Amino acid sequence: MTPAHFAFSSAFMLGLAGLAFHRTHFISALLCLEGLMLSLFIALSMWTLQFDTMNSASLPMILLAFSACEAGTGLALLVATTRTHSTNRLQNLNLLQC
Amino acid sequence: MSYMMYILLFGLVLGLVAVASNPSPYFAALGLVVVAGVGCGVLVGSGGCFLSLILFLIYLGGMLVVFAYSAAMAAEPYPEGWGSWPTLRLMVGYVLGVGMAWVLLGGGWYEEDWGGFDGLVGESVLRGDVVGVSVMYSSGGWLLIGGGWVLLLTLFVVLELTRGLSRGALRAV
Repeated sequence: MTPAHFAFSSAFMLGLAGLAFHRTHFISALLCLEGLMLSLFIALSMWTLQFDTMNSASLPMILLAFSACEAGTGLALLVATTRTHSTNRLQNLNLLQC
Repeated sequence: MSYMMYILLFGLVLGLVAVASNPSPYFAALGLVVVAGVGCGVLVGSGGCFLSLILFLIYLGGMLVVFAYSAAMAAEPYPEGWGSWPTLRLMVGYVLGVGMAWVLLGGGWYEEDWGGFDGLVGESVLRGDVVGVSVMYSSGGWLLIGGGWVLLLTLFVVLELTRGLSRGALRAV
C-alpha cells in the first residue's frame, strides 16, 4: 500500500474508532466525525492530484459543503443537548435506560 | 521532498491518534487544527495548492473555529489532556494498531512519485485543480444549485433543532 493511501485510510479508521469508542463528551464524538470528513477530503484530493484526473477536483469541494452542513446539524444537536440536559456528558443521556 | 511528505503523512496519522484518544475537547480541537494544517501540507506537496487553500480557509477558518468556541460547552474545571492515564492508554493502543496495520499491509512495491504531475503545467495559466473545480460551475451547474439548496435547507434544520418553546428539541433546564 502506498504511504499516502495508508496514511489517510488509517486516519479514517482512527476517526471511526474515536467516534465508536467515545468516552465522556458529546463534542469529542463530533470532533472525531470532523476528523473522518477531513481524512475523506484529503483522500479525494489526493485521488485528483495523484491520478491527474482534474475533473474530479469538484468532489472534495462538494464533500466539504455537505460536511459543513453535517457539522452545523451536529452542533445544533449539541446545543439542544446542553440546553436540555445542562451538560454534554454522554452519561446524562440516559432517558432510555432501563 | 519525499522526506517532507513522509513527515507530513506521519503527522496526519499522529494528529488523528491525538483526536481519537478523546481527551478533553479543547485538546481534541487543537489536534484537529494540527491535522488540518498538516493535511494542507500534504496537498501542497502533491501539487494541489487551490484545494489546500480551500481546506485552510473553509475547514480551518470556518468550521473548526465554530467547533473551538462550541467547546466552551464542554468546560470542566480539570480538563484532561494527553497525560492522563485513560487517554494515554488509548493513544498507545491506537499507535500500536496503526503500526501493526503498516506491518501487515505496507510492505509491497510502490512508486514514490511525490512530484505532483500536473498535465496543464506549461500549457495553461491556471493550475490543474483550479481548472477542475471550475468544472463545478460550468458543466456541474445543477450540482452547484443542488448544493446551495442543501445548504439553505440545513439552515432551516438548525433553526428547527434549536427552536425551543413547543416545537424542537429544547426546553428550559
